[in-house]
Amino acid sequence: MLACQHLFIREQVLLRGRAPWGFTLRGGTEHREPLLITKVEEGSVAAAVRLQAGDEMVSVNTVTLSGSRQEAICLVKSSHNSLALVVRRWDVQPCSRS
Amino acid sequence: ICSDNCHMLQKTGVLQQWQDHIGKSCNQTPKGRLTLDKLTFTAWCNSHLRKAGTQIENIEEDFRNGLKLMLLLEVISGERLPKPDRGKMRFHKIANVNKALDFITSKGVKLVSIGAEEIVDGNVKMTLGMIWTIILRFAIQDISVEETSAKEGLLLWCQRKTAPYRNVNVQNFHVSWKDGLAFCALIHRHRPDLIDYSKLNKDDPLGNLNLAFDIAEKHLDIPKMLDAEDIINTPKPDERAIMTYVSCFYHAFAGAEQAETAANRICKVLGVNQENEKLMEEYERLASELLEWIRRTTPWLENRTPEKTMVEMQRKLEDFRDYRRMHKPPKVQEKCQLEISFNTLQTKLRISNRPAFMPSEGKMVSDIASAWQGLEQAEKGYEEWLLTEIRRLERLDHLAEKFRQKATNHETWASGKEYLLSQKDYESATLTEVRALLRKHEAFESDLAAHQDRVEQIAAIAQELNELDYHDVAGVNKRCQSICDLWDRLGTLTQKRREALERTEKLLETIDQLFLEFAKRSAPFNNWMEGAMEDLQDMFIVHTIEEVQSLIAAHEQFKATLPEADGERQAIMGIHNEVQKISQSYGIKANIVNPYSTITIEELLNKWDKVKKLVPQRDGALQEEMARQHAHERLRRQFAAQANLIGPWIQTRMEEIGRCSLELGGTLEDQMTQLKQCEHVIVAYKPNIDKLEGDHQLIQESLVFDNKHTNYTMEHIRVGWELLLTTIARTINEIETQILTRDAKGISQQQMNEFRSSFNHFDRKKNGAMDTDDFRACLISMGYDLGEVEFARIMMLVDPNATGIVSFQSFIDFMTRETADTDTAEQVVASFRILATDKPYILVEELRRELPPDQAEYCIMRMPPYKGHGAPPGALDYTAFSTALYGESDL
Repeated sequence: MLACQHLFIREQVLLRGRAPWGFTLRGGTEHREPLLITKVEEGSVAAAVRLQAGDEMVSVNTVTLSGSRQEAICLVKSSHNSLALVVRRWDVQPCSRS
Repeated sequence: ICSDNCHMLQKTGVLQQWQDHIGKSCNQTPKGRLTLDKLTFTAWCNSHLRKAGTQIENIEEDFRNGLKLMLLLEVISGERLPKPDRGKMRFHKIANVNKALDFITSKGVKLVSIGAEEIVDGNVKMTLGMIWTIILRFAIQDISVEETSAKEGLLLWCQRKTAPYRNVNVQNFHVSWKDGLAFCALIHRHRPDLIDYSKLNKDDPLGNLNLAFDIAEKHLDIPKMLDAEDIINTPKPDERAIMTYVSCFYHAFAGAEQAETAANRICKVLGVNQENEKLMEEYERLASELLEWIRRTTPWLENRTPEKTMVEMQRKLEDFRDYRRMHKPPKVQEKCQLEISFNTLQTKLRISNRPAFMPSEGKMVSDIASAWQGLEQAEKGYEEWLLTEIRRLERLDHLAEKFRQKATNHETWASGKEYLLSQKDYESATLTEVRALLRKHEAFESDLAAHQDRVEQIAAIAQELNELDYHDVAGVNKRCQSICDLWDRLGTLTQKRREALERTEKLLETIDQLFLEFAKRSAPFNNWMEGAMEDLQDMFIVHTIEEVQSLIAAHEQFKATLPEADGERQAIMGIHNEVQKISQSYGIKANIVNPYSTITIEELLNKWDKVKKLVPQRDGALQEEMARQHAHERLRRQFAAQANLIGPWIQTRMEEIGRCSLELGGTLEDQMTQLKQCEHVIVAYKPNIDKLEGDHQLIQESLVFDNKHTNYTMEHIRVGWELLLTTIARTINEIETQILTRDAKGISQQQMNEFRSSFNHFDRKKNGAMDTDDFRACLISMGYDLGEVEFARIMMLVDPNATGIVSFQSFIDFMTRETADTDTAEQVVASFRILATDKPYILVEELRRELPPDQAEYCIMRMPPYKGHGAPPGALDYTAFSTALYGESDL
């Protein structure tokens, strides 16, 4: 019987192109919520790098986020033709036979 | 003979007188008349009597006493007559004359009719006759010319002598002499230097005669006895006178001639003699020279003193060559010449009837021959010797060079070795160093052995040089000796060094063994001591009495091991002392360091002392600790009692609160009231906690951290208390929030209860929270079709901090969110769209137009610029703004 591991993973993605990148950011410390990606538009750059709804933004362009959405928005908007993101994702991975 | 007489006559002037007298009395009677014969006879007698120192003046008278007659006879004959009588009487005179006559008779002359008395009486004729007899007998008779004697002989002589003179013809003793040429011829024949015969003239008889008489008187010592005029004038001159005078010539010349002949013969003989003598001298001289040369040369050839160098020998050889080529050949000739001379001489001597030549001692032919032989032998030997010597020297040079080279090589090799071998480097060397030295020494020994035969070779060469008598053999021997001496010394030193090294090695090995032993034992001992020290100094943290007791027990056990340890210590000391003893007694100067161990005996002893000191210290410490532990125990009990009361009380309260929050009956407000009451109770209980804190502090100050009398630690209590406080607060807060939520979201109590029921159901553990699996199950039960991604998203929402649990509040939030009617953000967006007349962007004037100024400005400030196509400048993005407002931003 295959055991699965539920865990949070960190995913590093690099978006190349320009805004709009194609994802919706929600939450932030202003709302006392985690900073999450709630929507990823089909065919967008974000989709191309396989960003997913539910990913939590951890850092933008190597800047670790404090959790403020305004900060995150500023950082994203300051990107020109590439956007490096680190997100945290709830993942399911199979592990070895036990 | 006559010249004395002439002198005498001249001196007295008697001659002149006499001549005058003769001139006057030439025609006188016989008695007293000076006839030629008287003149001549007188002159003749005087020529003899002057030898006796007397003269006669009157021939008729002076012989009368017979004394002068006897004298005359003595002078003429050279014999002594009997002593004359010295008397004046007649008979004396007669006796004397008789003696004279007897003497004449004894000479073989017959005296006819001449008697002594007549003479004494002065008979002139008789006297003259007697004188003539005497003259005849003593001056003429003995003339012998080729077996013709006396008168004939004299005549023959004259003829012989005058034969070469054509104008002279001597036939007699009277007329042949008249022209005087005969006299001149006679003189000229014998003494051509006295007369120039060619100038004479036959027609000058007077001149010729006088010339002859003068010359005879002056040069021939013949006194004048004849008168020239008398001769010329007399047709037949007195034969006797002329004979007498001519006999004087004969005696003068013949004597001279005889003398000349004799002299010639003598000269001839002498000449021969002289020649022979010269030859002999020559021979002697040559012989001497040759012998001298041989004498000089032979030693040179026999000299076998060898020269020192080849060059000198070669020079000698060169000299020898020169000798053979240049010096000897003339000598060979000389020898030959000598032999020839000798033979010639001998022959000459033999021919001339002389005795054979006897060379002086040592110069005999045999001597020369033997000397020459000696020379040649020496020569032969010499050349051979030279060549042998040169070869020998060549060989010697070669050998000497060989010797030098080998000796130098050997000396170079040997230099410094003596010093090295004498080094006492092993005294301060370690065992490995000594072993290395031994290896090195072994190598040296084999090197030495290899040199043995080289030394022998050197000695052999030296020996040969000695045998061959090398000139500097002393130097060679000295060097060889020093090499051999050094060799012996090296041998001895090598042996000694080997022994010393081996001995040192053994000692060092022994020491090494001891060191090893020391190391083996001292290390564990040291460790043991260090461990012991550590243990003894160990800062024990004990929390129980039992622990102290066990420490004390351990300590006692330890103490029991001390005697054994001490034994070990002594053993180790013993080893150390052993090492000291060995190194001292064998004078090992090396810094004896134990290579196996860095532990010194001093360290060990120090530690031991420390250990000994620490033991009682520990005893004390342990006892102290024991006391403390007892004290602690008391504290513990005290705390425990208290905690055991408080713990459960808190638990009870927690349960109460849990129950309260889980209850479904009643309103939230009722729950709230209950909770508030509970809170009040809790707060009132605080002093108990404080007291416990107090006890805890005591305990903690005593550093007691455990308490078996209670399972509750202060932290437990504290945490529990705080948890209680927070739980009550949170629960109250939860209820408050639920009330708010309910009010805000319009959730009915029923809904709330439903949520609560679900939550409780899936809260398997009943701890007011769901874990992720519970939550998933819950969602599924509520009809959510969850993919992994979806679920992850949801988890992200409900458990943002990834705690792994979902609280009821989160759950409610999630649930209420999900069931909200419309997304407020979209509503706002829709509203803005209306204001923007369906444009995706809004303009500033539109905002200002439609909204109250404050909000309009707020929007203008906050709205990001619109980045779409066909947007005028200043267009604002109301969508992004709205989503941002409601917690969403599209990026």
